[in-house]
Amino acid sequence: MAKSKSRTEAPQDASEDVVMQELPTSHQPDVQDDASMAEVDAEDDAEVEDEEEIEDDTQRVRLLPGSTPTAASFEFLNEGHTLGNALRYIIMKNPDVEFCAYAIPHPSEPKMNVRIQTYEGTTAIEALQKGLKDLQDVCDVVSDKFVAAQKDFKKKSISS
Amino acid sequence: MDYDPMAMDEIESKGPVIKISQADTVRVKFELSNADISFANSLRRVMLAEIPTIAIDLVEIEDNSSVLADEFIAHRLGLIPLNAEGIEELQYSRDCDCEEYCDHCSVKLTLHARCTGDENMQVVARDLVPSGDRINRVLGTPIINESSDGLGPLIMKLRPGQEIKLQCIAKKGIAKEHAKWAAPSAIGFEYDPHNKLHHLDMWYETDAKLEWPPSEYADWEEPPQEGERFDFNAVPDRFYFNVETAGNIPPDAIVTEGIKVIQQKLASMIHDLGETEGGENGDYNGPRSPEYNGGGDGWQDQGFTTPYGNGGNQSAWGGGAGGTTPYGTTPYGGAGAGNGGW
Repeated sequence: MAKSKSRTEAPQDASEDVVMQELPTSHQPDVQDDASMAEVDAEDDAEVEDEEEIEDDTQRVRLLPGSTPTAASFEFLNEGHTLGNALRYIIMKNPDVEFCAYAIPHPSEPKMNVRIQTYEGTTAIEALQKGLKDLQDVCDVVSDKFVAAQKDFKKKSISS
Repeated sequence: MDYDPMAMDEIESKGPVIKISQADTVRVKFELSNADISFANSLRRVMLAEIPTIAIDLVEIEDNSSVLADEFIAHRLGLIPLNAEGIEELQYSRDCDCEEYCDHCSVKLTLHARCTGDENMQVVARDLVPSGDRINRVLGTPIINESSDGLGPLIMKLRPGQEIKLQCIAKKGIAKEHAKWAAPSAIGFEYDPHNKLHHLDMWYETDAKLEWPPSEYADWEEPPQEGERFDFNAVPDRFYFNVETAGNIPPDAIVTEGIKVIQQKLASMIHDLGETEGGENGDYNGPRSPEYNGGGDGWQDQGFTTPYGNGGNQSAWGGGAGGTTPYGTTPYGGAGAGNGGW
């Protein structure tokens, strides 16, 4: 029995360099033991809710280590060229930004990296936040303009 | 920061402009100008792949005496366009509280046909009957175009005596997962009809101008002058979209939904970024960064560190002999430290 146990532990050790929370849930070790199963129902429910919340809240943006305030790399999960290129462009529009680029390090990993380097006076995180908000503003404008164009077109096609 | 994010090109402008040139029940043609190609392409990509619709995802075959294999029929059923009106109120099956599927996350359709005559019989999309409590009366009903005489797409044919009986579960999804969930049937995307930017290299036998038909938008833009020099600073800024639908979502709704999806993406990113910032004070590794041993060993952690190596808090440019860039080990460079400017 002891043998089999050590065997099951070995792969866990090998995966030490991966953050546990980032593994898919199916690959995470089952933390819940028998003791917690025997807890009061109400408490048990609360725990389940907690777990669910953590699952839903998987953070999709991460600051990569080795970053300084003005030069940082971010890792976006489950994003690609759709967001990457537009974001890169809009961040580069910011005059306080020295450099911005994005990359998809490997096509079979759902990850997108963004590198931002700013001039003194602002931080890379601020630049990214501003970029996201600017892009939202652009979307708002395009959306409004499209609705307006739709109304215009309808009016014209009725009158003609 | 006194700049205008709307001014997507260098010329002074009032931001993006949209002109609709044609719109009916199957397509909308519009021009997006004063926008950058990266944004236009984001919109195109999002409309193609990320607008939620509904399509048959599970098929339970009770009886199939036709000539077609079960899985073949199941695949065909999946590709039948279903009306996606009210899809916002339908939940993703994976997010739903139910065991497998329920009325909150799926629409049930049944198909039961038997050829009783003495001629071959057609089974069409109209024969799919939705059942159960639906969010509204149209969500999940097969799209039936006028061109098909009110029958809808042909699913299969039955010989006299053959029978098909099955139940389908239609679920919400996006085209990134499977193309059956694609909201538009096709999107036309075009810019620079005269190829002034030379983004295209036209194949020709003797003369490209004579052999290639002009774009339908050729009249909208100034043709290049005789002997005009190539403009190295020119960037595309007028984009011609043609969004076509199979009927599951009206074409203009595809555009507005597409923008909505981008907005949602951005909003979730801003939200997540707020969490990253929570651990900002001095600790730039963020609250959930992996366990580095002080972060000093840049080479060990290569996969996770910034492109400039140096896991530590050195400047991005490395600095000094320690600045081993990823280029250090290339066949061209020799050892990173001894390599001149780098």
